[in-house]
Amino acid sequence: MKLKIAVLVKQVPDHEAMVQVKSEQELEIEDRYVCSFFDEIAVEAALNIEKNHPDAELFALSAGGKRSIDALRRAIAMGIDQVVHLGDESLEASDSNYTAQVLVARLRILQPDLVICGKQAGDDDYAAVGPMVAELLDIPHISGAVSLDTNPDLNMVNVGCEREGEIWYLESGFPLLISAEKGLAEPHVPVVTRVMKAMKANIQNIPLNELELHGNKPQGRIHRIRYVEPPSRPEVIMMQKPFPENISELVNYLQEKGILS
Amino acid sequence: MADKKIWVIAEIRKGNLTRSTSQLFGAAYKIADQKNLDVVGVLMGGEKSHAESLAQKASLVLWINDPGLETYEATRYFHAIWQLIESKGKPVVILASASSSGLELMPRLAIRCETGYASFCVDIWWEGSELVARRPIYGGRAYEELALIKEPALFTIRSGAFSIPGNLPNSGKVETITLTFSDDLGLKLIERKSTTSSKQELSEAECVVAGGRGLGSPENFKLLEELAQELDAAVGSSRAVVDSGWRSHDEQVGKSGKTISPDLYIAFGISGVIHHILGMNTSKVIVAINKDPEAPIFRNSDYGLVGDALEVIPVLTKELRSRR
Ligand SMILES: Cc1cc2nc3c(=O)[nH]c(=O)nc-3n(C[C@H](O)[C@H](O)[C@H](O)COP(=O)(O)OP(=O)(O)OC[C@H]3O[C@@H](n4cnc5c(N)ncnc54)[C@H](O)[C@@H]3O)c2cc1C
Ligand SMILES: Nc1ncnc2c1ncn2[C@@H]1O[C@H](COP(=O)(O)O)[C@@H](O)[C@H]1O
Repeated sequence: MKLKIAVLVKQVPDHEAMVQVKSEQELEIEDRYVCSFFDEIAVEAALNIEKNHPDAELFALSAGGKRSIDALRRAIAMGIDQVVHLGDESLEASDSNYTAQVLVARLRILQPDLVICGKQAGDDDYAAVGPMVAELLDIPHISGAVSLDTNPDLNMVNVGCEREGEIWYLESGFPLLISAEKGLAEPHVPVVTRVMKAMKANIQNIPLNELELHGNKPQGRIHRIRYVEPPSRPEVIMMQKPFPENISELVNYLQEKGILS
Repeated sequence: MADKKIWVIAEIRKGNLTRSTSQLFGAAYKIADQKNLDVVGVLMGGEKSHAESLAQKASLVLWINDPGLETYEATRYFHAIWQLIESKGKPVVILASASSSGLELMPRLAIRCETGYASFCVDIWWEGSELVARRPIYGGRAYEELALIKEPALFTIRSGAFSIPGNLPNSGKVETITLTFSDDLGLKLIERKSTTSSKQELSEAECVVAGGRGLGSPENFKLLEELAQELDAAVGSSRAVVDSGWRSHDEQVGKSGKTISPDLYIAFGISGVIHHILGMNTSKVIVAINKDPEAPIFRNSDYGLVGDALEVIPVLTKELRSRR
């Protein structure tokens, strides 16, 4: 069996990028974007499968505005040659349901055996697109994968996934969607020649009107009313007494606060 | 009973209803009271005693009593909820915990029900006829408020976001439900391995004591485990500690680990860079112990203590024990 794997990648602000609420309708985001943390793990996981099954066929897909192209360039730099950019800027404001619909419109044509996405994207932190894609494709999915083993005949995979305080090992056939948790693979730093290749690559775009979207609207079910500031914490109270009296000082504070009985 | 319902999806772990399940009722009654809705518990698998304890909190418990629901399995659970919706009709709202199973099930359900879904919510309320949810985005650097327009509105609620409601007047009925499942469900559970050494599980714990590289060695985490036992707390760690192989990944707190909101979070020897902060800054009270007075962790704490964690931990454990 020749395995076809599709990886879903998204470009998001770096963890350290400044993000501030400018107004109820607008965020100010520092211009430091990267391929989402868990999506790079997803790419690496696909490359790892390819190492064991060299005839596996790998694709990377990203839906959204021009920025998505950079996530795809990252996927190319890491080692995935076939990439597709779906849609345009209008998707940047869409909900996860619509994003999933857009991705699925293409996935239905590609018919991958395995779809790998990130556990959650570093911008909306939603953790929804993966399961939604799986439901739309009517295939099983496993969230939070930390290990993936294929058998030589490729009719079965064993996926370890993180559950509260446990790792569960599940067996599944194909097709299947998994979402990548930290530990599934360790993304490598691309070599310079691949980075050059990625920079020069001509990336195919499929506009929304060429995708079969079954009449869904970008924000049919949910809409953002406003952005708000995160709650702020009052100034820290530092313990003043020397050790070890500062320990009882601390415990007193916590008892006063009602946090320790 | 009002004919409009809120469903609360219960979870059992290690033989008990989870603390997050009880917290869901805090969210449920908040929105139920404003619109005169009934709060209904939904229990998949488990035992009669679980159903009965759930009924203390709800006007009705729908208990799907099926041996196949003994352990969570995504496809089977999903079919169970879907069949329940088909037989009982759509509720106005479905609430689940933002746990591994809640996060797996609810987005799928949103597609199947053609409705809206908001994940990791920290608050929900009505604005007129719309249900609004607040949720952190960009790792908590901002929050968004979303309106859900269609029924059922689906939410996963972040652990620690709501308090467990006090005395509820309810003593509801338990309705036992039998469903049929096809055998071919695609996924097969082969093995389960426990990964935590502490009794408490991180996302469920009311108190978390976390250690960073400042603890110096994996052996020193013993001190932390003793403190955890004294406080009935879970042990957490920084990424540096996990990457060094000192602790397992499911103890990692932060952007690429768990996001938690315990009542009390105590950080020992953790520098407190943004990636770590993003995972714990919604804790109710944060305490930091670090030998560097300039450590960034202090900027995100309520109480700070400058000192050597290895000296502080045993004394703190003793102090707490003596005050019991
Ligand atoms: C994409 C990305 C994702 C990341 N995700 C996470 C994440 O999920 N969680 C996370 O934690 N990190 C994450 N990080 C890593 C993060 O950047 C830091 O490397 C990590 O948090 C540092 O861990 P630490 O505080 O234990 O170690 P250090 O930074 O080495 O800090 C050790 C601290 O201990 C103090 N100390 C030393 N000795 C003592 C002593 N005896 N007593 C008291 N204090 C002492 C020091 O003053 C110092 O402040 C991420 C990084 C990246 C790039
Ligand atoms: N616009 C997109 N294009 C491609 N993949 C996406 C997109 N949005 C989300 N994903 C994938 O779905 C995962 C979960 O995203 P989210 O549900 O937004 O947290 C991400 O880690 C990606 O793998």
